Amino acid sequence: MFEGLRAKLHRIQEGLSQSIESASDKESVPPAEHQAEKEKGVTIIGKVKVLITDREFLINEKDIREPLSELEMVLLENDVALPVTEEIISHIRKDLTGSRRKIGEPVDAIVAAALRDALLDVLGEGFDLVSYIKSHDRPVKILFTGVNGTGKTTTVAKVGSYLKKNGFSVVIGAGDTFRAGALEQIDVHAKRLGIKIIQHQAGGDPSAVLYDTVQYAEAHHIDAVLADTAGRFHNRVNLMNQLDKIRRVMKPDLIVYVDEAVAGNDAVVRAHEFEKAVGADAVVLTKADMDPKGGAAISIAHTIGKPLMFLGTGQGYDDLTPFSPDQVVGDLLSEEAQ
Amino acid sequence: MIDRLGTSLKDALKKLAGKTVIDRAAVEELIKDLQRALLQADVNVKLVMQLSQAIKNRSLEEEPPKGMSVREHVLRIVYQELVKLVGASGEVKLEPQRILMAGLQGSGKTTTTAKLARYFQRKGLKTAVICADTFRPGAYDQLSTLCAKINIPCYGNPGEKDARLIVKEGLGTLGNAEVVIVDTQGRHALEEDLIQEIIDLNVLTKATHRWLVIDAALGQQARDQAKRFHDAISIDGVIITKMDGTAKGGGALSAVTETQSGIVFIGSGETIEDLERFEPDSFISRLLGMGDLKALVERAQETVTEGEIDVNAMMRGKFTLRDMYKQLEALNKMGPLKQIMSMIPLGNVEVPGEVYDVTSAKMARYRYIMDSMTGTELDDPSVLSSSRIQRIASGSGSSPEEVRELIKYYKNMKRALKGVRGAGGKFNMQRMMKRFGGM
Repeated sequence: MFEGLRAKLHRIQEGLSQSIESASDKESVPPAEHQAEKEKGVTIIGKVKVLITDREFLINEKDIREPLSELEMVLLENDVALPVTEEIISHIRKDLTGSRRKIGEPVDAIVAAALRDALLDVLGEGFDLVSYIKSHDRPVKILFTGVNGTGKTTTVAKVGSYLKKNGFSVVIGAGDTFRAGALEQIDVHAKRLGIKIIQHQAGGDPSAVLYDTVQYAEAHHIDAVLADTAGRFHNRVNLMNQLDKIRRVMKPDLIVYVDEAVAGNDAVVRAHEFEKAVGADAVVLTKADMDPKGGAAISIAHTIGKPLMFLGTGQGYDDLTPFSPDQVVGDLLSEEAQ
Repeated sequence: MIDRLGTSLKDALKKLAGKTVIDRAAVEELIKDLQRALLQADVNVKLVMQLSQAIKNRSLEEEPPKGMSVREHVLRIVYQELVKLVGASGEVKLEPQRILMAGLQGSGKTTTTAKLARYFQRKGLKTAVICADTFRPGAYDQLSTLCAKINIPCYGNPGEKDARLIVKEGLGTLGNAEVVIVDTQGRHALEEDLIQEIIDLNVLTKATHRWLVIDAALGQQARDQAKRFHDAISIDGVIITKMDGTAKGGGALSAVTETQSGIVFIGSGETIEDLERFEPDSFISRLLGMGDLKALVERAQETVTEGEIDVNAMMRGKFTLRDMYKQLEALNKMGPLKQIMSMIPLGNVEVPGEVYDVTSAKMARYRYIMDSMTGTELDDPSVLSSSRIQRIASGSGSSPEEVRELIKYYKNMKRALKGVRGAGGKFNMQRMMKRFGGM
């Protein structure tokens, strides 16, 4: 993922650099003695003043308009939701407009820094689950939420396998009692992974199942409880109330919101609704292997304002990558793109 | 957020009203708002750009026909171009056929398979399904549980790892079924071996139709994914699922364009009956965040027997407790209130949130309370005095507070519907669509 975005970002970066470069070339040095009254935005006087006194060049909004609107299209095409795109653009515009560049200072560096800042700003920080569990009272209770078909159950299995590999003991609570076949699905995963699973009958109360799971974990000194839930749409009041009840009953330490990397603009809407209804401490983005673009990651991370914990990158139990924003942004802006 | 977009689109349209010549600036503003609305709905960026260019050119070049105002002229072009973009509904024949389901992981293939089986079963065709998902644990249990509920034979073998073998055996076992639907495991464009598997399944089943299941929330990825599926097995229909959420399904349009096919069905809920035939008009309305009355009326006609609910009376603002009673009765068949309300062109009217937040348990209670009212009270709720409320409360085994709550609910509802009527007078997308539908 992110390859597409990376290639495009490079073109934009060059475009931005060029526009700024050519704009600064055009700058003549007319004799101007007025010491400008006040710098209201980027006035000619202000520019001249800076040029003369500091041998610096002020970047004008006009200089970067075109590459910025191109960047906007690129972000949209890569599934970054419209509001988030606009925010990134305005962030960069604000960063660059009015910023001073010393004559001779490479433009690339300024542009790259602005882009980097903007992206890091929306992506936020990563989330290290292993050190979280190590530094908290056990059992650490983790509740997985999300809409239908995003891959919650598969993610629970993958996280279970990840934690086991890291030396933790794990129990899974089969909280999806609604969807036909869900209990069988999680049961098979648990057996394959050799993880204990607590389940009730189909159609039972998920809160009760998850409560029992927590009880079991406490009695057996288990390190982590992974609570699967049924997929639900954020506009169903009853189902969201049910989720709230689950939260009250099992008192999770972490609520992990699961969504898919291929989701478009709706990702923003539902992430927001889930965050509002039950909260979310971290995000797992699944199906990242389907999407070479990765824009949804940016949208969701930005909307929830919560760290991305993992990326799901395939159908195997090991296809789970801890997410590190620095690395992703570094990747996106790295020189050796493609 | 999306409602706000719908509003700004309407504002832009308003600016065109009353103009006698085409105003370039106003058209450009309208197009900009339209672009925003479509991008928000996940329509492919390139498609949006093509569409807006076409609308712009036509609006500025074509002479409005005599007697048609500038706004109507531009609206007509917008509508025509959108219809072109959305395409006609894909054909569904009620005859013996084999359908191969394809799609990404978690797009809702298995649920849709069961819903489709139900659809063909209701149309009187002998239907059976095969579960060819050999990968996801519980897939067979899911499909067979769903099918058992509606008495549809379901063939599968959780122990067998080769989907081709299962399908071969399944086709033999279910030989006498008229419609056979083959559910497959989720796969995506970059998984070569799985793409090969579905090519093999297509050859093996000699499928009459190959339908691609697309999640309404799917973003710009839809185009690439659909292209790969189309190259592999030439998709001839698209099903959009999860339209009961807030996603607009614009991603599916790229799939339609890419596969040169049409949308056949829309999945809009978790129960087995929640499958609708695709209607371009109502889809466009949802895409733009403007309601669609046609879908509501049609839906009401299909599931509610005549005379049970009078939508037109409701729209005229003549809304009594009796109407509300009928509405509550019909509610189970018509789906949640919010879904119905979302199909009414509400214009700029804000419907108070509490109107929706009524649980089914409460709905039932409301009905008991209304059962204890007299005919006069039902027809004219303004007569409800506190002594009457007391009587109704003890008659229905509820408290006066609950009766008052019901009255409050009724008033909210009435106000909301009144708003609909007011908005409809000024500008009505539906009227426009009806008018141009015939052209």
